[in-house]
Amino acid sequence: MKRSRLSFLLLAAVLISLAFAAIPIIYLFTRAVSSEQTTLSNLIFRGKTLEIFLTTISLTAAVVTLATILGVGLGWILYNVRLPKSNLLRALTVLPIAIPSYVFTYTWIAVFPGFSGFWAATFVLVLSTTPYVLLASLASLWRVDWSQYEVARTLGLNSWQTFFKVTFPQIRNSIAAGALLVALYTLSDFGAVSLLGVDTFTRAISNIYRGSFDRSAAAVLALILVLISLIIISSENRTRMSIKLPRSANRLNTVTEPMSKKSLTIPALLLIASYLALGLFIPMGILINRFFSSAASINISNLFITGLSTVSVALLGALIALCLGLPLGILLQQDSKLAKFSERSLLVVHALPGIVMGLALVSFGSKVSWLYQTLLLLAFSYALLFMAKSVGSIRTGLARVPKNLTEVSSTLGVNRAQTFWRVDFPLAAPSILSGVLLIFLSAMKELPATLMLRPTGFETLATQMWRYTSISQFSEAAPYALLLVVIAAIPTFLINRPDKNTSNEGEIS
Amino acid sequence: MRKAKGVKRLGAVLFGAFALVSTLVSCSASTTSESQSLTIYSGRSEELIAPFFEEFSKESGIKVDIRYGDSAALAAQLLEEGANSPADLFLSQDAGSLGAVSAANLLAKLSSDVLNKVESKYQSKNSDWVGVTGRTRVFVYSPERVTSLPKSIDELTQSQWRGKLGIAPTNSSFQAFISALFQSRGEAGAENWLNAIKANEPKIYEKNSQIVEAVDGGELDLGLVNHYYIWEVSSELGRPVKAKIDFFQPGDLGNLINVSGAGVMETSKNKAGAEKLISYLLSDATQQRFVSDTHEYSLVLPELKPEDLPALSEVKAPAVDLSTLADLQKTQALLVKVSLI
Repeated sequence: MKRSRLSFLLLAAVLISLAFAAIPIIYLFTRAVSSEQTTLSNLIFRGKTLEIFLTTISLTAAVVTLATILGVGLGWILYNVRLPKSNLLRALTVLPIAIPSYVFTYTWIAVFPGFSGFWAATFVLVLSTTPYVLLASLASLWRVDWSQYEVARTLGLNSWQTFFKVTFPQIRNSIAAGALLVALYTLSDFGAVSLLGVDTFTRAISNIYRGSFDRSAAAVLALILVLISLIIISSENRTRMSIKLPRSANRLNTVTEPMSKKSLTIPALLLIASYLALGLFIPMGILINRFFSSAASINISNLFITGLSTVSVALLGALIALCLGLPLGILLQQDSKLAKFSERSLLVVHALPGIVMGLALVSFGSKVSWLYQTLLLLAFSYALLFMAKSVGSIRTGLARVPKNLTEVSSTLGVNRAQTFWRVDFPLAAPSILSGVLLIFLSAMKELPATLMLRPTGFETLATQMWRYTSISQFSEAAPYALLLVVIAAIPTFLINRPDKNTSNEGEIS
Repeated sequence: MRKAKGVKRLGAVLFGAFALVSTLVSCSASTTSESQSLTIYSGRSEELIAPFFEEFSKESGIKVDIRYGDSAALAAQLLEEGANSPADLFLSQDAGSLGAVSAANLLAKLSSDVLNKVESKYQSKNSDWVGVTGRTRVFVYSPERVTSLPKSIDELTQSQWRGKLGIAPTNSSFQAFISALFQSRGEAGAENWLNAIKANEPKIYEKNSQIVEAVDGGELDLGLVNHYYIWEVSSELGRPVKAKIDFFQPGDLGNLINVSGAGVMETSKNKAGAEKLISYLLSDATQQRFVSDTHEYSLVLPELKPEDLPALSEVKAPAVDLSTLADLQKTQALLVKVSLI
């Protein structure tokens, strides 16, 4: 009886998230069908659309490839090489996520006035998306079965062979999930591509909204974007292998010592340092420099209130996403078609430009006056936009829980729900937490949907940055950008701690 | 017990979120009980316009809730909200966004008191929005690298400007200019000019301010922008920019005058209050401050002018109907056709 109630609750939660995910898609279809046929075919079958298509695809491919190599490389280094202040380094490498892409891009334009075009956009997007792959590979490296690694080394494989034959297959699914997030981020990015003049679908969609208010033409382009993301999502799905190897409880006892070869430490530090320089220190340095070189002043109380507002609404969004994402993660453990469908729907929604999501929720939300322009709706939009970022880590986190532990629990007469809370959830907590963190970080810097859906007069750090940057007062925006990074740093450090605890107290007591 | 660690941490996070949000909600709820209030959707940036709203609020006793955003995005939002919009007043950076909202019949007719203050060419033909400030299209150039100034936009298609010209085709002010071009030369004429410009390999930017910075930085020789960006950029850089602005020959389309403006929403429950705000924006004192603070032109006091520029009546602008600039669909379609956007 309890069992069926539990499944019912899970199912209800999944259906709710599916219904939310449907909102923007339904919105796009209603808008698209209202367009005239001739303008429609003019729009789709012009040379420019093909050009936009090719640009979008090649930008996504370039960013995904480079970010994956860099992210896995950094993850491997941070896990395996003994480095001074490794916890600090780990947390810092995640922080580029916290810088909104338009701020990031602007700082580079400020250094190199001619900075623009495809490779400039690739550069910016790789730097800001690498942490997605890095986080995914770190999270899965912590869960790798290192006894196999030692067996492989004993059998005479060198470290490269061991990496590709033993370690990589175990972290491959997580990396693919991280790479998928990078792809969807690239598809939906507006800040970098618009400032650098790269014509992707998201830029074209925003331009049509802003220029002609032709909502059906924009909807048609957005549906093409949905199609592209569907293709990318299903190809990621195909590369996914079922995880067979590491579901034994023993692995938790074996944690290899990081390598302490000098020959590795220096190149490793160099790589990390150059990533941090390009992705974090130089952009922040430029902002700080601009701030001090102008007569801008800081309004401390406003800064504090804005920070607090941002944190609370982003946390609420992450919380809603967790409530909806956890059941989905659980259902995904079984071969549930509905869960898979919901997951893909959420991923598609994640690839939508913020302006599309904003307008879709305006269209639906304005009909419900008690909900419209409230914090709740804003937080819901965050959950909807970014939930996909957590589903992957929740799913892999839960999948890594040793089956025999849950079996033992059942044998001892503990029911499924209790087993989940007492065994699965605590063991998967680091993964789940890092998923929640990703939503939190993304929500804090979200702009287009925030501008439309926030309560009137409610400011977040992103809206305040926009307030100044839209009239090119970058120096006034600097304190808000800095605060965003500082706030982002706190949970990033928190997330980085659990693994340390795991290695010290790794035994299941 | 290590099991509880992750859970505890998560619990702490969740509790924190609840506490913060409930405090915040209770704070914001307590401020919405006033009887006389206005909800404004402002496409004009907070930095420049907020002091005016504050002063209005103080003088009139009407509380204002201001929603800032990009003019076009706010217009799109108003179109989506339709009859459910909580907005009373729409203040826009450009005539195009007002026109789009007007075309959807979402704006109320304004009283003649307000309309009479501004010349009829700077207001809606449907009497449902009115211009508040004026801005002119100009070219920005580098005095070091450009010795002979172009006399008309057609000169910009000549080979001497190849690769040296900057435009922002996605920007609404550029699109308003193309609408004017469309209106005066017809579709074929506008398309010819755009194709010729495109063949001259212009550098494409997102914003007017980027063009001014590019001229200042030596990356461009000349660009098409609105007149006040030269002050905006120099105040950001904290120094005078190494760029100047000038007009084309009298009557050239490149000297187009556009307006920022305001309209009252048809669904507003406080239309009188909203009109009061428009009257305040059009009052002499406020208009003087627009000219001195934001370097725009006054539409009410034509003799006032931003420093170093001719008066609005002396700007030899082309004769263009601003109401038709609102119809950006054709312009956009044309820009799409020549693949500039």
